[in-house]
Amino acid sequence: MSILARLFGRGDLHSLAAPYALDALEPGERRTFEKHLRGCDRCAEEVRAMTEDAVRLAWSTVAQPPLAMRDRVLAAVRQTPQEAGPLREHVREPQAREYTPRLPAHVWGTQPQASRARAPQRRPFFVPFATATAAAALVVASLFAVQANQTQDKLNAEQAQAREIAHVLAAPDARATTGADTAGRSIGVIASASEGRAVVTLSGYDALPSGRVHQLWLMRPDVQPRSLGLFKDDTPLVATGLDKTATSLAVTVEPGGGSAQPTTQPVVQLALKSVGFGE
Amino acid sequence: MGRVRSKSGGRVEADELLVQVAAGDQRAFEELYGLVSGPVFGLVRRVVRDPAQSEEVAQEVLLEMWRSAARFDPGRGSALSWVLTLAHRRAVDRVRSARAAVDREQREARRSHHPAFDQVTEEVEAGLERQLVRRCLDRLTALQRQSVTLAYYDGYTYREVAERLSLPLGTVKTRMRDGLTRLRDCLGGVA
Repeated sequence: MSILARLFGRGDLHSLAAPYALDALEPGERRTFEKHLRGCDRCAEEVRAMTEDAVRLAWSTVAQPPLAMRDRVLAAVRQTPQEAGPLREHVREPQAREYTPRLPAHVWGTQPQASRARAPQRRPFFVPFATATAAAALVVASLFAVQANQTQDKLNAEQAQAREIAHVLAAPDARATTGADTAGRSIGVIASASEGRAVVTLSGYDALPSGRVHQLWLMRPDVQPRSLGLFKDDTPLVATGLDKTATSLAVTVEPGGGSAQPTTQPVVQLALKSVGFGE
Repeated sequence: MGRVRSKSGGRVEADELLVQVAAGDQRAFEELYGLVSGPVFGLVRRVVRDPAQSEEVAQEVLLEMWRSAARFDPGRGSALSWVLTLAHRRAVDRVRSARAAVDREQREARRSHHPAFDQVTEEVEAGLERQLVRRCLDRLTALQRQSVTLAYYDGYTYREVAERLSLPLGTVKTRMRDGLTRLRDCLGGVA
């Protein structure tokens, strides 16, 4: 699955809540999910509830520790300084990415204070990236999470792409929107009108027969569609040079190599108004 | 946590104690140790199994409870849950690195090696909670129960669970979620 599909496929990330509560994620996934949690109050709440459920499983395991353990722990406590609380740390280090180096993020009280105050995001198809940096971090993290079995070339390409994506996400006006057809296939876009850039991803579309490609078009009123590039596998496409008059994106199936103008009806089209275009 | 009757009182007490511990109160820590060391050690031993390693991990967790007490926020959950969540994370990390080491040895030795058979450790207390948890686990479907317990008690990742049960990843995630939800419904009244 592509990075952006991961980002848009919130259901997919959400489905990690139960394995996370059970500590059943691999380290890379765990980090990705924890980054996601910091920007998603609803998920954090869900994970907290599920963690409480998981902790109940510990009820059946109580066992008396060796007596000598008590002496050792108490002796260690007498010599061990305590950490400052999260609030003080927050003031001292407001930009700290690795906020809780020692405790898992779902251990109560370890979440950054700011994330508690943020309102839950309810609208599924319009996600303002108020926390663009966090979102960028998520994209980059999800890239690193999947790098284990990839070639260096592909990695380099993906990392370069991650930088592009992070660049779009970091724009103050970055917005995301997705559209889906009745078959559940979807197109997602994260766009910045001020940067004139967008990251576009397709998901759910079957692989095309050889010699055919999905081509992305920029649609503007009274102007011929302009090609924004060809999709390769499920890799997101970074489109640049978008002007504010753009009204929608469209995807058509074209012969390999692409066409100068669309030769078929769009398989999917997505209005850009909600992401700051269409003036 | 040994007895259900004392639980609510004990929990509130543990919460207050942990707040005092955060202020550097060593006496409060000693008292808190009395309340949580059994649950922490029992959970760690269930996951880690090896007695010496379990002791080591439990000690680390209890020391971390001292060091990081200021991070505890009583508004967000109980002290016991806080420290058990931490204990579980540390136990799982330990058992996974131990397994990885065993795997390496196996590969090097090129001989079959049977890791300790999955046995439930003999608990000191046969508390009411344990019966309750077992009864509620029994009410889950077999796949829900296996998905949840392989992860929580045995420290397997959901990928490993999927492999062991020959199930697709998505199915395992769903079984875990459903299992936890049913567990909540079943245990709900006694929290």
